[in-house]
Amino acid sequence: MIATTCRAAILATSATFLGAGALSAQELQYWVYSDFAQGEALKLQQEFIAEFEAENPGVKIVISGRGDDDLTSGQIAGAASGTLPDVFMNGLAVGAQLVEVGALANIHEEWMAMPQEFRDQFDAAAIASCTPKPEEMYCIPYTGFGEIMYRNLTVLEEAGVDTTTPPATWEEWHEQMVKVSEAGKFAVPDQTQVFNSVASMYAVRGDKEKWGIDFEARETLIEPESMTRTMQMFIDMAPMNSGTSRNDQGTRDLFITNQLAFHVVGPWVNPTYAQAANDSGLKYDFVLVPGATEGDHGGIKSYEFVSIAPGPNREIAWKFASYITEKNQMARWAKLLSRYNANAAAMADPEVTALPLIVKSVEAVKYAMDVMPPYFVGAVPNCYRSIMTDMASAVADGEYTAEEGAEELIAELNDCLAR
Amino acid sequence: MSARRLLPHYAMVLPFGVLFAAFFLYPIVSGLYYSFHDWNAATEARFVGLANYEAVLNSRDFSRSMSNLLTYIAITVPLGITVAFGLALLVDSFSGFWANFFRSAFFLPVVLPAFLAATIWRWMYAPNFGLVNMVLGWFGMPSINFLNDTGMMLYALIAVDVWVSAGFNMVILLAGLKNIPQDLYEAARLDGASRIQQVRYITIPMLAPVLFFVITYGFISALQVFDVPWLLTGSSFTAYGGRRSALLFPVMDMMGRAFGSVRFGEAAAYGFILTAVIIFITAAMFAVRAWRTPK
Repeated sequence: MIATTCRAAILATSATFLGAGALSAQELQYWVYSDFAQGEALKLQQEFIAEFEAENPGVKIVISGRGDDDLTSGQIAGAASGTLPDVFMNGLAVGAQLVEVGALANIHEEWMAMPQEFRDQFDAAAIASCTPKPEEMYCIPYTGFGEIMYRNLTVLEEAGVDTTTPPATWEEWHEQMVKVSEAGKFAVPDQTQVFNSVASMYAVRGDKEKWGIDFEARETLIEPESMTRTMQMFIDMAPMNSGTSRNDQGTRDLFITNQLAFHVVGPWVNPTYAQAANDSGLKYDFVLVPGATEGDHGGIKSYEFVSIAPGPNREIAWKFASYITEKNQMARWAKLLSRYNANAAAMADPEVTALPLIVKSVEAVKYAMDVMPPYFVGAVPNCYRSIMTDMASAVADGEYTAEEGAEELIAELNDCLAR
Repeated sequence: MSARRLLPHYAMVLPFGVLFAAFFLYPIVSGLYYSFHDWNAATEARFVGLANYEAVLNSRDFSRSMSNLLTYIAITVPLGITVAFGLALLVDSFSGFWANFFRSAFFLPVVLPAFLAATIWRWMYAPNFGLVNMVLGWFGMPSINFLNDTGMMLYALIAVDVWVSAGFNMVILLAGLKNIPQDLYEAARLDGASRIQQVRYITIPMLAPVLFFVITYGFISALQVFDVPWLLTGSSFTAYGGRRSALLFPVMDMMGRAFGSVRFGEAAAYGFILTAVIIFITAAMFAVRAWRTPK
């Protein structure tokens, strides 16, 4: 009798545990950029999660914020150890590395299975960035940026620049820089210091179609004439720059304290400048980056993306990824952050189009050049980036003429790619 | 002793042995294995012989980082130890509250997280508004771009490193100073030795073993310099070393190859090259010390 009772108890306990196991939450690890995992952004992400969990009982999403490097190294290590997060964000520029290590699922089938209405919501160029080949797709583009030019109106007015019309071409922009410099202020940050600012200047006067890498031939697409024009801009700007990079806090400080006239960068600095406008009366605006000719514009663009890992949770991970990137969520996200994103339908939402920064960003993206194409094809070696900035700096420092610098740069880039 | 009697001893050492093998020996051995392979952490490793070592040794960034490292070591190790020694002598000359106060104050940078220390210095070095440039401005000197002027960047880094490491070395040297018998100084004073002569003929010789440790440790730390230049230049895995790679150092380059370019085999080879350099320098220092120590 006792033995029978014990057996029954054991069976009941086992059944309870097994049942509980079957019903227990399917946990998804969701990695986002650290600034999306704090403050108001986190609250909205948690709202998305709560809504998704309510629609999908038994699913639990665990959100985790990580810095840029942590995201990439965590995904690479996760791919090696089989502990990848299920849904995650990252930047297009590291997409190829993630494909190489098997961290990204090819979502082409899932994408094509979605209703046309969903697929049509997205910016076509952004989707093309995620699709290196006809049947290969690795991401859904998420937030992004098109570069804009912040102008310190006080500095420009003091320098005698008419601020009613932004500079339309490089020549006009350069003229204004000279006036600013003559007034004893800095015209621009040092644009040679980071890869994105070199790319940004190239987009002003270079051939935007010839920026990138031919991974098959292992050669850069950049042509000497285009690069010579870009290098000449670095020489022209050298005596007028602040010596700080576009990402330095020092650059923002110079802008806020009316020492710097132009800052070409993404929309993420706007909250700082808007705060300064409130606190200390900073007079500024943002306009499109001038181009080589009137009507064209420079600037670069790129996207953060959402993607999923190959693995047992793939189906539900895709469902969640497509939920957070759907128009309604993207519009809410855009309104909260006042930031452009790749969901074109969300960008057309009347409440979103009332936000000036987003309107300008949407316009900027139309002209902007992809910062590091082609994506998801080959990993850009680090030497490619360092050669670009080092050579731009060397030309600005007067070690090479623009023409010599361009030729040397292309030779070194090809050497780097060949290795 | 019979094996049976030794068994409990081995059993007690076993947990350490297992952890040591898992977290120390295995990474070293697997690192050595991967240094001869083309491996991106996810796909099958492919044997490439010495190709990774060749790629590292022939790369532009390796020679640049080594050149930066040599200059950095040549200045930072002697300067850091001289400053620490000076501070130790200064603190040693105080007693009671002031000795404790200065010891704590000079040690503070050691316990400060590296990112915080680097952030503070980034602000202090900021052009035009930074504290250092403000002070220079009071003397009518122009603003210096410490973190972007390629002629200044290395010295700016050395200043931060000396500031961070001086406190640690000072505490060790101070402990050494406290162990020097006071009667040696009394005898020297009776013989009419000046303060400088006392330092030259008593303090430094009596501190020799401690100084040897501090110098060796300083070399090893300097060879592995990473966090401060990484943070000062706002580096990431894909872009590091600051303007014209003026603050590029071997460990930074190694990290970039691993997580920026996903070339773990090359990064492992880099690690072993650096390890060989560290072992060589440390062995050379031990050899010099053994040669100079009277038998």
